[in-house]
Amino acid sequence: MKTWLSHHRQAIVATLARMAQTPFATVFAVIAIGVALSLPAVLYVLLNNAARLAGTLPAQPEISVYMRMDATNAQINDLRQRLKARTDLADFRFVPRDTALVELSKQAGVADISAGLTQNPLPDAWVLTPRKAQPENITRIATALQALPYIDTVKQDSQWAQRLNALLDLGHDFVMLLAVLLGAALVAVSGNTIRLQILTRRAEIEVSQLIGATHRYIRRPFLYFGVLQGLFGGLAAWLVVAVSIDLLDRPVAELSALYHANFHLQSLGLIPGLTLLLSAMLLGGFGAYLTVTRTLFQTDAH
Amino acid sequence: MIRFDSVTKRYPGGHDALQNLNLEIAEGEMVFLAGHSGAGKSTLLKLIAAIERPTSGSVLVNNQNVGKMRRGAVPYLRRNIGLIFQDHKLLFDRSVIQNVLLPLQIAGFSRHDAASRARAALDKVGLLKREKANPITLSGGEQQRLCIARAVVSRPALLLADEPTGNLDAQYARDIMDMFKAFNQVGVTLVIASHDEDAIRTYAGRVLHLDHGVLQS
Repeated sequence: MKTWLSHHRQAIVATLARMAQTPFATVFAVIAIGVALSLPAVLYVLLNNAARLAGTLPAQPEISVYMRMDATNAQINDLRQRLKARTDLADFRFVPRDTALVELSKQAGVADISAGLTQNPLPDAWVLTPRKAQPENITRIATALQALPYIDTVKQDSQWAQRLNALLDLGHDFVMLLAVLLGAALVAVSGNTIRLQILTRRAEIEVSQLIGATHRYIRRPFLYFGVLQGLFGGLAAWLVVAVSIDLLDRPVAELSALYHANFHLQSLGLIPGLTLLLSAMLLGGFGAYLTVTRTLFQTDAH
Repeated sequence: MIRFDSVTKRYPGGHDALQNLNLEIAEGEMVFLAGHSGAGKSTLLKLIAAIERPTSGSVLVNNQNVGKMRRGAVPYLRRNIGLIFQDHKLLFDRSVIQNVLLPLQIAGFSRHDAASRARAALDKVGLLKREKANPITLSGGEQQRLCIARAVVSRPALLLADEPTGNLDAQYARDIMDMFKAFNQVGVTLVIASHDEDAIRTYAGRVLHLDHGVLQS
């Protein structure tokens, strides 16, 4: 176990030394990986902020509930009790049919029409504000109320919320697609730098194989190189995300102040950040593995 | 220790390097492979170390059929064989001692054990004073001796040498042959390919003559 640990420590130190020997190549590879990864990462962060903003918007969607024309006062009171009992409503308000008619006739151009009415065509109505804006939440409330016998129509005003959610979903899919594409680019970048490494160390590989090195032994330093390079690239990407979010935060805060809101951008969290580093390391190692294995089978063959 | 049963090696393109070869080498023997260049001496050595595989027939080393050996088992076979090359195959990006340490690192020796073994091997070939030097600064004879140190450092039971004195003048060649003789005296089996008939005659060992891939008796 101790030898095993010291082997790996030696391998890491040797890899870092090798990187330091060719600082330019290392820095360029790290920048390439960092920029490639930062693109989906920045988009992911912005998207998460947009979702957060959408969830806290002051303009909550509303549900309009229209009672049957023949609803009695007892039924109105019954519904009032039921609405009070619901915990998923932030607020509700009763609009009696008479008040509704008065408000309607106040609107320009409608007064003439209402004057000609012999009786009030409007039903008693309620305007509900759900506590949460999610469409499934709104639909659940609407379905529950629709089941009551004295209710005529329930109108959900949730279309915009559904549209926004669809848009955010689309954004997430786009980020995923981008992440997959740029992940493939990372594998290619890693594979290519490892290929150059192999070219300069061809003699060492050949001699090692002749004196009994296993594939695993030969592969190890290159895998370390790929993984460490991925790690540095991931750190660079994290830095890019942190700096760009920091730069964007001020203008965003100023913009939100104009709307009398206090909104700040959140940067990449710890868990998504560590996920970024881990995937960069895995992809870097994978690219190295592919290249070394291909080389080993080529040198075996001759 | 080594046994060839009707071994034929044909390289792509139809050239037969070895034809229907039968031979047996016992443990502790010192055997010379003689013959003009292209007679198949190198091919024979490569078959023993599983660097090449026979087209037909079987090559047994310690009762293992190395011609049919799994790819993953080949490294462990090679750790028991010391290989000495005419072109040395030294690594010039590291010091003399680092070159000798390589087989021990591959075999997983601890750093302390490896260092003392490597020094012992260098001492045996007379290069201990040059341990920190870069191999490129060594003379041809010294490079060959370094190659021998690397081959014997893990104390293999079998040494294969391909033209070990090919590029050396007579004095250096004699040094190296004496060294081989000394290894043989402590029980190491040696197979030495050489076209240097004079050197071969000086040492009382079995001589196998190869001619165009055929063993002459």
